[in-house]
Amino acid sequence: MKAAARWAGTALVLSAVAFLLSPYYNDVYRKLLLWITLALSYNFLFGVCGQIAFSHFTFYGIGAYAVVILIFQLGLPLPVAIVAGTALCALVALAAAIPSTRLEGFYLGLATLALAQLFIVVLNEGGTLTGGTGGLANYRLPKVFGFELSGPRYTVVIVLLLIGTFALLARLDHSWFGRACRAVRDNPEAAAAMGVNVARTKVIAFAVTSALAGAAGMVYAFVDNTVNPPIFGLENAFLLLFMVIVGGAGRHAGAVAGAVFLFLLPFVLSPLIGHHHVLVFGVLMVAAIVLQPRGLIGIYDELRRRIA
Amino acid sequence: MRDFLELAVSAAASGCVYGLVALAYLLIMRPTGIVNFAVGEWAMLGAFGAYVASSVVQLPYAAGVAAVLLAMVAAGWLTERIAVRPLVERGAPVLAPILALLGMLVVFRESISLMFSPDPYPVPYAFGFGRLELGPLAGSYQSFFIIAVSLVVFAATWLFFERTLAGKCFEAVALNRRAAALMGINLARVTTLSFAAGAAVAGLAGVVAGANISAHYLMGVPLAIQGFTALVVGGVGRVEGALLGGLLLAFAEQLTIRYAPIPAGYAQGVPFLLLMLFLLLRPTGLLSARERSG
Repeated sequence: MKAAARWAGTALVLSAVAFLLSPYYNDVYRKLLLWITLALSYNFLFGVCGQIAFSHFTFYGIGAYAVVILIFQLGLPLPVAIVAGTALCALVALAAAIPSTRLEGFYLGLATLALAQLFIVVLNEGGTLTGGTGGLANYRLPKVFGFELSGPRYTVVIVLLLIGTFALLARLDHSWFGRACRAVRDNPEAAAAMGVNVARTKVIAFAVTSALAGAAGMVYAFVDNTVNPPIFGLENAFLLLFMVIVGGAGRHAGAVAGAVFLFLLPFVLSPLIGHHHVLVFGVLMVAAIVLQPRGLIGIYDELRRRIA
Repeated sequence: MRDFLELAVSAAASGCVYGLVALAYLLIMRPTGIVNFAVGEWAMLGAFGAYVASSVVQLPYAAGVAAVLLAMVAAGWLTERIAVRPLVERGAPVLAPILALLGMLVVFRESISLMFSPDPYPVPYAFGFGRLELGPLAGSYQSFFIIAVSLVVFAATWLFFERTLAGKCFEAVALNRRAAALMGINLARVTTLSFAAGAAVAGLAGVVAGANISAHYLMGVPLAIQGFTALVVGGVGRVEGALLGGLLLAFAEQLTIRYAPIPAGYAQGVPFLLLMLFLLLRPTGLLSARERSG
């Protein structure tokens, strides 16, 4: 009960912020919330379950494209499109995950990297269905139960997505499943000896986090009211990995800290070095792994220990 | 038939480039177990090096290539020092250097984009631009040059592993790190050498391929994916597998573009499909690693 109140309170505060911001900062705020949502689910896959995959943005893209195509090309009502889109993401995730559990370590990363690139090829060559290289644009979110969700009110939808994702992942993390995931990450043989079904744990973690990415993609589709291939490419998949590692892999607070830090960094850096902030991302990534593998959250822990 | 033979020469040339990139992966992966995804960026550095050597410093071709290869050895050594050695010494899991090298990939790429504009830069041809006909086989000078250079590099690498003591050391480390260390092989030196050699081979791939595709700061990742696909198709255990995989990949790509009744854009998907299929169905590749007893 207390936990529920805390989630509701956080949602209320985060939503209230949206009504104080100008339209420009509302847009920035929405994207920040989406990055945090993605970093949280990616952290569960990579940090908690130890699976390195580059397909997270692909599922984000499948969700976004699916909801747009289902509503505006096939004329389905919004709720049906959302259910069908989520189902599609889970289905593709299962199809990708079941054979992939045979792959160890970085080989999974490369197989999912191939999947991600293949998705971009399909988007570019999809003709009128996907809009080709230009993507799809000029659509508007239909009214939801007679409500027009726009401006700060749509930001509230994103806040609910973030809180829902966070709450679900936190519950999973504290359940036997979360412990099984950590066991599979740290030592698959020992986990198997303790009675954990390693393959099934990996598949479920991959499918659940990918479906969450797909749900985030559906919400994203109505943020810019356009979907196009470059958004879902490798660049952002790498950035997501960097966020989780720089923040501190394996901890929710780390994912949040990394997403906030790397998302806001370009706003500080662009006046100084223009478009070359990506170089700083690369340097931070190497520095995090070599100097502080527990990331920003590790630095925070250390500072707190010193002060106490 | 003429059409096919012409295609064969250019496909063999790009296959050799993929093979060289695959060899760069292999040289590092065999002794260390590290998949170095930054090899594509090394090839990019090689191509930019060739541009600088020929157009800015105006060295003769052979001297320019030699200078680039020396610089690449230094780049490989530096990469190992920064992103790999501290982690190996700390006893970090093998995924840690792989991820640090992904960070280095971005550092290399963005450093180049900082120094050069995002335009393509010309890389010199070895013997100028011209067409050579050898019986029924015909192609550009550069295609034949790429094939010849790659054959020399692969033959030299094969001889190194088969005939020299240093090569046997590499092989020993690949088979069993602990036993090799106990036999007095310096693991740190093998790691450094493998990175230096991998960077030189990848840089060479960039130099010879750059003449056809020009040096561009985004050329690295596609080459890294194609090279890795070649490696997985051929088998991660053997030098000749890298070349075989590269050739198969290039022929699959070019034949799809030329003859398959699908839009050319979809042909870009061929390496990704091959990579996924081989990883999932035959992760050991076509040639499996030699038995330990052999």
